[in-house]
This record gives sequence, C-alpha cells and structure tokens, in this order.
Amino acid sequence: MKRFYPPRTLLAWLVAIGSLGMLVMLPILFEGSYWQTLAFITFLFVSLSVSWNITGGYAGQVSFGHSTFLGLGAFATAIITLRTGLPAPFTIPIAGFLAMVYGFLWGYPTLRLRGPYFSIATIGVGEATRLLMTNLDDSLRNIPILKELVKYKPLTGGASGLTLRIPPDIQSYALKFYYGALLFMLGVLAISWWIRRSRFGLALFAINMDPDAAETLGVSTSRYNVLALMVSAFLVGVVGSLYAQYFFFIDPREMFSFQNSIAMVLMPIIGGIGTLWGPVLGAVVFKVVEDRLLTTHLEWGPISINFVQFNLLLYGLLLVLIILFEPGGVLGLLRRMKGSRLLRRAFAPARQKG
Amino acid sequence: MAAKDFVSLVISAILTAGLYAIMSYGLALIYGVMKIINLAHAGVIMLSAYMTFWLVTAYHLNPFLAPLIVMPTFFLVGLAMQQIFIRPIAGAPPISSLLLLFGVWLIMQNVAYLIFSGDTRSIFTEYTLLTIKVADIPLSLNRLIVFAVGIVVLVALQLFLSRTYPGRAIRALAADSEAASLVGINTGRISMLAFGLGISLASLAGSLMSLIYTFDPDFGRSHLLKSFCIVVLGGLESIIGVALGSLVLALVEAFSVVWLRAALQDFVSFALLVLVLLVMPNGLIGLIRRQTR
Repeated sequence: MKRFYPPRTLLAWLVAIGSLGMLVMLPILFEGSYWQTLAFITFLFVSLSVSWNITGGYAGQVSFGHSTFLGLGAFATAIITLRTGLPAPFTIPIAGFLAMVYGFLWGYPTLRLRGPYFSIATIGVGEATRLLMTNLDDSLRNIPILKELVKYKPLTGGASGLTLRIPPDIQSYALKFYYGALLFMLGVLAISWWIRRSRFGLALFAINMDPDAAETLGVSTSRYNVLALMVSAFLVGVVGSLYAQYFFFIDPREMFSFQNSIAMVLMPIIGGIGTLWGPVLGAVVFKVVEDRLLTTHLEWGPISINFVQFNLLLYGLLLVLIILFEPGGVLGLLRRMKGSRLLRRAFAPARQKG
Repeated sequence: MAAKDFVSLVISAILTAGLYAIMSYGLALIYGVMKIINLAHAGVIMLSAYMTFWLVTAYHLNPFLAPLIVMPTFFLVGLAMQQIFIRPIAGAPPISSLLLLFGVWLIMQNVAYLIFSGDTRSIFTEYTLLTIKVADIPLSLNRLIVFAVGIVVLVALQLFLSRTYPGRAIRALAADSEAASLVGINTGRISMLAFGLGISLASLAGSLMSLIYTFDPDFGRSHLLKSFCIVVLGGLESIIGVALGSLVLALVEAFSVVWLRAALQDFVSFALLVLVLLVMPNGLIGLIRRQTR
C-alpha cells in the first residue's frame, strides 16, 4: 500500500492549488454575501456527500436516514446554546458526538440487515425520527416527569422551529464560518482519503464486494459497518451544527426531512460512488445547478414556469441514467471521454471492480 | 374504553386493513417474483390518486368505477417500466434496482409537482359523508364500499394465481426461478406480467385511497413503508399472510391512538417496520411455523 499519494501530474497540482486559492480569495473578490453563502453551503454539502460516501460508497450500505444526523447535530447546537449560554462553536464536538451515538444506536441493530433491507429500514428510521422530533415538545408536555423539560423553553420548537441569537457583527461572523467550513471540508476530504488508504477502508471495500467472503477472511462485517456509520454520522452532525450556527434558524421538519437524506444519496451517486472525488463533484454540480434553477423562472405570455421542482426531477433522471448506463457517475463518464489519460492521472483511480 | 368504542375501533382497523392488503400485495408480488424492492410503488400510488381525481372531477365518473380505467392503464405502465428499467439491469446487485426505482419515484413525484403543484387535494363525492348505522355503530359507506372493492379484487387475484396457467407460473417463479425456467416457463414474459400486476395493484390502492384521504405529490411514502412492513410481517407466500400482516398493522395503528398523539400515528408503523425487520425477518408465519415445529 502506498504511504503517500500526492497528485501525480503538474496539471493536477495546478488545478488543486488554483481552485483552493480561488476559494480562499472568493469572499474578498466578490463582495456581497450571495456568492459567499452559496460557496459556504456548497462546502457543507460537499462535506455531507463525502461523509455519506464512507458508508454508502466504501462499505456499500446505502442509507436513506442520514438526515437524522444532520438534524440532531443542528438541534444539539441550538438547544445547548439556547439553554446554557455556551458559545455555539464549543458545541460542535458535542453535536458530532451526539450524532455519532445516535448512529451507533440505530446502526448497530439495522446494519445486521443486508443491502436493500438495510436501506428500507433506514427510510423507516429517518421518518420515525422526523415525526418524533417534530412532535417532541407536544409529546413531552403530556408526560408528568419530562414536562419540566419544555416548561419554559421549547426543545425542538415543533412546527415553529428554533431561532438562535444573531451576533452584532454579522459580516465578520459569516466570514469566520466561511473559512471554518472550508477547513472542515478539507478535513472531511482528508479523512475520506485516509480511510481509502487504511486497513479500515480495505475492510469496508471487502464488505462492499462480498460480505460473506469478507466474513470468512476474518473481517467483522457488522463491526466495520457500524464504525463506518459512526464516523459518517459524526461528520454529518458537525455539518448540522455549522448549518444552525450560520443560518440562525432551524426547523425540525426541514432539518430531519427526507429531502436532505435524498440529497445525500444523490450527490455521491451522481458524482461517482465509492471514489474520493466523485462525491465532491456530485455535490458541487448538485448545489450549483440547484441554485441556478432556484433563481431562474421563465415568463412565457401568461404562463410563468418555476424551475424549483426541476431540480429533483433532473436528479431522478440522472440517477436512472447513471444506474442504467454508467454506474461510475460523472467521474466515470469523464474517465471514459477523450483525453481521459489526463483525468485518469489527475484523480486517484476508483477501486477496481471485478 | 367503552365496549362500543372498542368495536368501532376494531371495525375501522379491519376496513383499513383491506386497503393495506391491496397495496402490500402489489409490493409482495413484484418482490416475490423478481426479488426487487419497488420503491416506485409510492409514486404509482400517488399518480393513480391524481388520475382518479382527474377522472372524477373532469368526467364526473363514479369514483368506484375509476379503478376500471386506472388499473389497466397502470398495468401497461408497469409493463413498460419493466421493459425499460428492470430488464436491462437483471443480474446487477439488488441495491442498483432499488436505487433505479428510487430515481423513477423521484421523477414521478416531481413531474406531479410540476403538473399538479404541491397543493393538497381531496375527492369529495356524494358518498363521502354518508354513513350507515349497524347496531348503533356508525360506519362510513365510502369506506365500506372501498373495502368491498378491495376484497373483490383480492379474491379475483387469488383465483387468478391459483387457477390459471399464468397465475401458477407467477407462483412457480416466486418459489424458484431456476426450476421454473427448467420446466419451460417463459420467465421473461411472466416477470413482465407480474410487474404489471404489481403496479396495477398499487394503482388500485392509490385510486381507492384517494377517495378517503387527502393527497399531494408526496403522498405514498408512508404507505410504501407500511406496505413493506406488512410484507415482512406476513411473508410472501400467501394472500393470507399479507392479510394477516395488514390486520396486525392496522390494529396496532388504531389502538396506538389511545395512548399516542394522532400526529405520531405513522411513527408506530415505522417503528414496527424496523422492529419486525430485526426481530422476525421471516415474518409472522415464519414465527408461527418455528413455534409449532
């Protein structure tokens, strides 16, 4: 196994340094928070996509329940900050940790199920969590001992959500989070990269290819699967925390929504499931296309067409086409195209599939 | 709880179970024959609800006759889906068919958003508010007829599966596809038939549900999970198993209202789904067999 895996060509180095420099300079070059916010949210989605890929791509356990971690991270930060007055950035590790614990709690039993059964169970877990969290306050009010918890302050806020205190100097606050999210995204990428190279990652790939064979060779499938889910959950929980701190308002129906889980499934698959850069590519494409569609609408005589709903329609179509024709996603497509030699060298090769 | 409330709760659960049985049988048929979990099930339920809405409001069709048009239409849709999506990926890992059908569901859902917008719809007919009283217990006529239509179709299906050649071929394929092809069953064509039937059963469920519940393009997701829960509960072998599973789920749901908020009713089925998947992957029938053996 290679110890160090640097970009192999000059071109790859240039692309990497150039794009990183662009991202660092972006808030200075484009004044105005629109592009900055778009970039910030893209960083978060890249982190989500790469984190999901650890379970969904490397270990092959397709989870439709990752929004539980996102929501839990966001609400952990909001609730702790609102109740104890602890500065929000200090809650980030707690948010990640709580998400990780939750990942263990539902991952340990459900990961005994294989393939599609696991996926279906995660839809159930996600929906159950969303319903529970949305109705948490009202439910607790009916329980004698736990009533005290929601007597003065809401826990999840039910349908009205939670609002955090907005700091006085919003611009430098946003800038700090911009660079924080950028750093975090690089960290997530580094973790994903490290897992690919490690014994741990090797075990995950083995499980993905053939769980029975992996088990015979002494790889404890359930332990590694749960571990992968916990790592993934931690990272997604941190993203939730960052989201809450940047936007100041969270709604349980939105944070725990099935849409968020779907986004986390779609991005890596579209980019190239199981690869290092595929999920990044998928997330960037996802966010940028979504943003363009959100801000465009056609006026044609009396008819005005809004493109908001085209977003998921487009991704549904892409998903179908990708499964039918190019399971490697956009990255696989790029590799197949002409001039593929450059790209093949620039990006780490995908795992060889038999 | 008064005895009267108890009885009316049980009756309402049985009526719901009839609907549940139809929608889960569609899922079970497809899973049994092709070992595919049809996530587009939810999309079909939703689209057929809209189709019924359209037939009833635009053409003033009797709502209980709508399935006569909806079911054949979706049977054809199912055949097309099988040809376009399922056949090319035969032999691929099961997760790819799951993701593929998930993509199809997303397309259906968002096409519905584009065409019908996100507004909640409901079908109001002259039957909607009618009730009849049996021994002092009010029963919604609407739900009774829906139940009756469902039962008639299920009986017809059972006869088809046990008495006709294609029906028996479907069952053979579900039992052992290799052996089925060895004895000369055209597995490709029978798979197509089973997929079409499964989809048209989902559309029947959607069509009937649209007469009782309100719906929007997101309609069907909770029903997909419920169907899956029932299929796992009841096993795939017989219509009796599916009926039993439906009844268990409907009863648990109905009685959960007594100690749980109505908004959390769906929570019960999702929790039950995860629990059943973990504790008895062979379903109720498997559990009973194990006990009696």
